[in-house]
Amino acid sequence: MTTIRRFSCNDLLRFASVNFDHLTETFNMSFYMTYLARWPDYFHVAEGPGNKVMGYIMGKVEGQGESWHGHVTAVTVASEYRRQQLAKKLMNLLEEISDKIDKAYFVDLFVRASNTPAIKMYEKLGYVIYRRVLRYYSGEEDGLDMRKALSRDVGKKSIIPLKRPVTPDELEYD
Amino acid sequence: MASKFGLAGGIPERRVRPIWDAIDSRQFKNALKHSTSLLAKCPNSPYALALKSLILERMGKSDEALSVCLNAKELLYKNDSLLMDDLTLSTLQIVFQRLDRLDLATGCYEYACSKFPSNLELIMGLFNCYVREYSFVKQQQTAIKMYKLVGEERFLLWAVCSIQLQVFCGNGGEKLAMLAEGLLKKHVASHSLHEPEALMVYISILEQQEKYGDALEILSGQLGSLLMIEVDKLRIQGRLLARSGDYATSANIYQKILELCPDDWECFLHYLGCLLEDGSSWSNGANNDPINPPKPVDCKVSQLADEVFHSRISTSLAFVKKLQADTSNDFIRCPYLATLEIERRKRLHGKGNDDDIVEALMLYFLKFGHSASFSSDVEAFLQVLTPDKKTEFLAKLIKTLDSSATAPTKVLGQSITIFKIQELTGNMYKLPVLELEGCAVQMVEMYCKSLPLSKDLDPQESMHGEELLSMVCNVLVQLFWRTRHLGYFIEAIMVLEFGLTIRRYIWQYKILLLHLYSHLGAISLAYEWYKSLDVKNILMETVSHHILPQMLVSPLWGDLNNLLKDYLRFMDDHFRESADLTFLAYRHRNYSKVIEFVQFKERLQRSNQYLFARVETPILQLKQKADNIEEEEGVLENLNGGVHFVELSNEIGSKTLTFNEDFQSRPWWTPTTEKNYLLGPFEGVSYCPKENLTKVREENVRGVIEKKSLLPRMIYLSIHSASASLKESVEENGSISGSKISSEFKFLLERHAKMLGFSLSDAVEVVMGVSSGVKSFEAFGSDEIDWINFAVFLNAWNLNSHEPLQPNGDQCGRGIWRLVDTLLVKYISEKIKSVESLICSPRVDLPILVQLVTEPLAWHGLVIQSCVRSSLPSGKKKKKGGPVDQHSSLVFNDIRDSIHSLCDIVKEVATWIRGQIDRPEDESVEIILSSLRKKEQDEGPGRVFHVLESLIPSINEAELGDRISQELKTWSPLDVARKIVTGDSTLLSQFLNICESKIKSFQALNQQIAQI
Repeated sequence: MTTIRRFSCNDLLRFASVNFDHLTETFNMSFYMTYLARWPDYFHVAEGPGNKVMGYIMGKVEGQGESWHGHVTAVTVASEYRRQQLAKKLMNLLEEISDKIDKAYFVDLFVRASNTPAIKMYEKLGYVIYRRVLRYYSGEEDGLDMRKALSRDVGKKSIIPLKRPVTPDELEYD
Repeated sequence: MASKFGLAGGIPERRVRPIWDAIDSRQFKNALKHSTSLLAKCPNSPYALALKSLILERMGKSDEALSVCLNAKELLYKNDSLLMDDLTLSTLQIVFQRLDRLDLATGCYEYACSKFPSNLELIMGLFNCYVREYSFVKQQQTAIKMYKLVGEERFLLWAVCSIQLQVFCGNGGEKLAMLAEGLLKKHVASHSLHEPEALMVYISILEQQEKYGDALEILSGQLGSLLMIEVDKLRIQGRLLARSGDYATSANIYQKILELCPDDWECFLHYLGCLLEDGSSWSNGANNDPINPPKPVDCKVSQLADEVFHSRISTSLAFVKKLQADTSNDFIRCPYLATLEIERRKRLHGKGNDDDIVEALMLYFLKFGHSASFSSDVEAFLQVLTPDKKTEFLAKLIKTLDSSATAPTKVLGQSITIFKIQELTGNMYKLPVLELEGCAVQMVEMYCKSLPLSKDLDPQESMHGEELLSMVCNVLVQLFWRTRHLGYFIEAIMVLEFGLTIRRYIWQYKILLLHLYSHLGAISLAYEWYKSLDVKNILMETVSHHILPQMLVSPLWGDLNNLLKDYLRFMDDHFRESADLTFLAYRHRNYSKVIEFVQFKERLQRSNQYLFARVETPILQLKQKADNIEEEEGVLENLNGGVHFVELSNEIGSKTLTFNEDFQSRPWWTPTTEKNYLLGPFEGVSYCPKENLTKVREENVRGVIEKKSLLPRMIYLSIHSASASLKESVEENGSISGSKISSEFKFLLERHAKMLGFSLSDAVEVVMGVSSGVKSFEAFGSDEIDWINFAVFLNAWNLNSHEPLQPNGDQCGRGIWRLVDTLLVKYISEKIKSVESLICSPRVDLPILVQLVTEPLAWHGLVIQSCVRSSLPSGKKKKKGGPVDQHSSLVFNDIRDSIHSLCDIVKEVATWIRGQIDRPEDESVEIILSSLRKKEQDEGPGRVFHVLESLIPSINEAELGDRISQELKTWSPLDVARKIVTGDSTLLSQFLNICESKIKSFQALNQQIAQI
């Protein structure tokens, strides 16, 4: 029961029950608004009956040449609406926009190495662990950089895993 | 930062680079050193000066920064041969903006653009200045200039956006929209459009003017191909058709969307709305608040003839059945819920019946009854059923559950749903106490039994059956409300604390606990749980209502100060940076976001909570400094004597406030900040539909802000009135300011009285009646603090006024001093008696006691301090010897008595607090725990708790898994009880500190007055 539409500023006033989740970060306003101002097609909200916010996805498209890619910055679903494949729906939407509209080579995302349920979910959606980023989260926990190749990357070169872990300062993009 | 020619503001880059590097690494002293040497070489370079001012501003030297910056500006204006580059200007702009002088920055750019009218970079800078100042008309003119200069589509759209902003946020009328349309039309004819966002703006301009046909034509023409996502285009088409009244075509469009996205609930509602020719969701009425949308129940009754109605309903049913058949995905719920909506519409039209709705509900339950969102999906449909039908539905559900035998998680999900439906139908409050207890026991047993299902789950994942404990808590609170037996309340706390021991991330439990502890009077514990929710950034606007009201009347001043400061900082930061983000949207050609950002900023600026916090912050400071008149005067000076808060109070009536609080997560017993059912007698509520409560709140909030905003000024006037009264009598010539104070003060008192619902003289009568015992305190109603504040200010005014308080009265001059003392002493001692010990009953009177001491008593204390200070011989002007006049000596007597009685009453409060704190901890802990341990009884608190307790010895590690077993072993009710007791002490100690400081202050005054 999902109406998926572009995220708007007013949704920031209605997403509390989603963001109470301990793994969902509430960013500062300029962070959200920069995403809205630059990549509005990568920021979507799912609404249920009674205009309730069920979840949302925010992301961007960046990079040069063959590293031109979509990036998932956050995807989250309220506890009441879990186990309904909503995250999958939102991820597919972002992948489609990266693939069809922006003609990106791949989509990537970062996930806490300890967040096993999320990693499993991304794997189910076709993402592979591309590399480990040492102490990516607040200098404490490692992050996993996961990727999924899009149709433009015919040889799926973008997702061949790196053999060694990298440090955050080696990352090409923030 | 260097320009492309290797020159930065006319200076070779290598000279500037070290300065920027130092600034970037925050080595400001070093930067200043480099800057000084640069200025030695180029003393007349505006850029070098701009850099210096930037460094000075970063170092916190605002005045110096401004003067250097102005210097740079002057040089820039003076010397025409100098390079007028964007780098210099933007550096100056940064400094001016940080110094809150946007006007100066704009002035620089305006000047530069007048000198170099064809420099696009400079004009763009100027446009940005106007964006920062929200000058929409100037934005429009500047954008047009750029458009004329280079003919680019984006600049035209910048102008069109600026026009739209005038229409939406300014006072621009229809003609402006026509102008925008004309501009776009002309451009499209010669250049077409190339950006999807440009097309969206074009359509919205037409839509604004209700030119739906034109908009549709454009959309279906060549420009329509700019929208890459087919569904997006269809949605716009559907909306335009419906708004134009062409419901039939619109319904076809929505049908197409549903075929592509069968789970789109909003689209289905539009589809059905179009079929039934109900345009209510398209009108721009009062219901278009996106934050508090109307409930779907509010839709209009169809006006169609019966025959037509039937045929349309059959069409929709057939389509929905087809959708159901076509979708194989088990997660798609929309086509199934759709049948419920169709039944509901039938009933609204008078053609359906409750049985059909119940049947549709049953079908929906069979398919999705196990899902966590079932009850919220069907909430709106339940509301239309009669109470009997609700009971019937519930009975059917229970029967169905018995006959089904599916996977254990599904059975659990369905059972939880049934409990939730019981909650939703309001069935709970009708059950007798024993049955209700049984219900809670059943829930908690189900929770315990379901624990093994979560054995293999990651601790990050929510466990099966988590909602059960929230529901148990709801039932226990209901039992407490009915029986007033504290045991149930403690039991509710224990249940949730237990749940959080097993998995500490469950925010629903945390919020419930926060409110339970608040109601109990243990605010420090409530605040701990609030902090664990990690509420930050925009969440402060939407969820701090959970804690803020309680904190405002608590003695936890440090925490409250942080809460208010963080919130205001967040809001003010946003207001500061919002314009730059709007410009970012302009630059990236996301025009719809430009409008959205400006509207959002305005929405936040009009937030009722923001205004509230702005008023409460100085009041807190005034409370904190009230024991020291000099410090209090410092606070008042920073507030400019409270003048602009009086202005706010005057304006609030005409302001449109916004209500952004998210009340969805509040518990049933306190659905808004103003309501707490538990404070009143039992009235049969166990569930509160989250209706749009904005209207009810608006008047109330306005009134509170209006009243509170007067406080700083009243305190200011009290201090001055008191000192003027004595100066007038002690010194020979009466001061002129004395009479001015008196008249302003009287005006504010009249307003204050009016807000309490009385004229000034009637209010005086009420106060006198209560003080003399003729009237009881009940005459004050729930505004007791406002009334006593009124009495305090009345006395302060009266000291310096020569008007009698009542037409026939003689209470003039030394006035009603004794009356205020009596009021304060009587009221405080009454509250001390009525405030219960936390372990016996929730301490609902404690906040009143805290307020009495920290507000009216504190303000009265300031009046005393002011009198004493004015009477003391000052250093410079020694009082001449000789007898003090009679008036003054009478006042001194009053002051002396007042100090004694106030000091005594605060001592009494302190003694009561000590009595509470000094109670042996073990004894209190035992009392708390014993309220739960009545195993010998069949009824009463403790049965739920007993289920949890008996779980621990029977832990089966193999069944529950390692993690859950380990967590279970750490569960300790004793620790929870101890936490309650220590939390209580923490709170009371803070209050004791406040009292002790007041006692000290009174004792010091006593010594001072002895010298007079």
